[in-house]
Amino acid sequence: MTELGPTAPSAETVPLPKRLRAPEVAAVLEDLERRADVGLLTLDFGAVEEFDSSTLAFLHYVRCQPARLTMINIREDLARAEEGFLHWPHPAEETQVEPAASRLTRSLTTVADGYIRRGRSLGSFLTMFGDEVYHIGGYLRERKGVYPGEIWNQLFFMGYGSFPIVSLLLFLVGVTISITSANQLKIFGAQVYLADLIGYAMLRELVPLMVGVILAGKVGAAITAELASMTVLEEVDALKTMGVVPERFLMVPRLVAITLAVPLLVALADVVGIMGGIVVARVMFQMTPTAFLTEMVTSVDWTDFAWGLIKTVVFGWAVVVGAGFKGLTVGRSAEEVGRATTESVVLSVTMIIIIDCIFAFVLY
Amino acid sequence: MDIIRGRELTVGYGESAVLCDLTFGIPAGQITAIVGISGSGKSTLLKTLAGLLPPLAGGFDFAGRAIDYRSESSLSFLYDKIGVLYQGGALLNGLNLFENVALPIRMRYPKMPEEMVRDMVHASLAQVELADSVEKFPAELSGGMAKRGGLARALVLDPDLVFCDEPSSGLDPITSQRLDDLLLHLRKTFRMTLVVVTHELRSIERVADRVLLIDGGRLRFNGEYREMLASDDPFVQTFLLRKDRHDDA
Repeated sequence: MTELGPTAPSAETVPLPKRLRAPEVAAVLEDLERRADVGLLTLDFGAVEEFDSSTLAFLHYVRCQPARLTMINIREDLARAEEGFLHWPHPAEETQVEPAASRLTRSLTTVADGYIRRGRSLGSFLTMFGDEVYHIGGYLRERKGVYPGEIWNQLFFMGYGSFPIVSLLLFLVGVTISITSANQLKIFGAQVYLADLIGYAMLRELVPLMVGVILAGKVGAAITAELASMTVLEEVDALKTMGVVPERFLMVPRLVAITLAVPLLVALADVVGIMGGIVVARVMFQMTPTAFLTEMVTSVDWTDFAWGLIKTVVFGWAVVVGAGFKGLTVGRSAEEVGRATTESVVLSVTMIIIIDCIFAFVLY
Repeated sequence: MDIIRGRELTVGYGESAVLCDLTFGIPAGQITAIVGISGSGKSTLLKTLAGLLPPLAGGFDFAGRAIDYRSESSLSFLYDKIGVLYQGGALLNGLNLFENVALPIRMRYPKMPEEMVRDMVHASLAQVELADSVEKFPAELSGGMAKRGGLARALVLDPDLVFCDEPSSGLDPITSQRLDDLLLHLRKTFRMTLVVVTHELRSIERVADRVLLIDGGRLRFNGEYREMLASDDPFVQTFLLRKDRHDDA
């Protein structure tokens, strides 16, 4: 037996069990906490035969509190193990308290680094946008660099795959906006103008915005997740070493597909959104569909549909390029795939709102 | 004659160098193993030599031509002459095995008749003993099959050089040996140059004609495998498990 540390004769002695591993150490620590007001305590390690790293950490902990705790009867093997344990690096001991000024500097540096990184990221994004225009031009000229049939696959996914959700949401948006507006219009006896309001709002604003947001959530997230996984699994590297340009091979089919899918989605969304209005007008004001449509065409024309369509196509491009950018610039871990997907949706929705705002200034 | 010649090549990520001032040659028609402990920078060097990661300093020649990362034509020249087997195979998940192997042909020669594409793909898959799995998608393949599929894709256009990144990792000893035998077969039959990144001693012993041993960010040994066996460098001895530990890190 080795006796380490001074032993006060008046101290209360706490015998420790034969097995002193993590659960028992936890129980002893609880016991010591209960005896906090006792004063000096002597821990008797004489019976301890089974121990693990938590026992060694416990020894180190006790040794750091000589004013309150002391130890006796430490066996040779436990003392040797503790000796080895003390030679491991102890992060807590190596950590130095940073001066407050240094912490402030580091915080400011972190914030500044964040802005610089975002600035660079914006630059890379705009470069990618330009590159994609170049690649689309290149594809249309040369008809190569894209996997045969991929445009059709993407068109099917983005267009046909989005039909149900676009139909459902835009119909409900049409109904909701109609009910909300109808109650206000009723106050002024202007029920007939519900048709004008719904037609104009749907064609010009709500359909482009809602379709854009649906594309950001459904198509954008899927593109980012797919491309980010491909990047992490070295599939993008494999494309490069095959002499394939990933930005063309992966992005051009998606950009062409979204350009073709959006007009179909917008037309569908316009129809179901207005149908929502027709249903509400019929139920609340007994207005016939014919009367609704006749009134609607007095205030909207094909230019409203065209501007809505142009806006949505631009939203679609922003979604695809933003999603592709996030997917292709992801790091190398699975965790980053999830983060990139979330960031892609946030980026897409932000871009949609900004572009919509710019259109509002230009058009109205 | 060296197919690759590194000239004071420094490689790494961002501004931090992983390997510095490497000057070396990789001879044509042989299997060169790039070896080192985990994290030593083997795969980083492979990425630079395969045209994926620009060097931080220095450069390298491929088939007598200096590779310039800023030049699209220079990288195209490199990509035309190499094939790469990635660690997990890196087959595209959306395509079946046939289409994965056909991809380099379709992308490089879009007007090649379908019959020729089919023959080339089947020949390449037969080499790696996957001729029966053409319809399978990557998710339906085992780890070893995915690697062999990746190798078939790397070989389909008969490149001058094939890079193999950890071909034996994650494989059982029998599958690993079959893959090594395949690499030996390619070298012997087609006089193909192979650069294999690995830390598997058994694999090095079986396939390597030459070894580039990396340690501490530098080349520790560059020579024939049998010279490596005779080396009295403490790190080389430790790496070959001939010594318990080395103090000369």
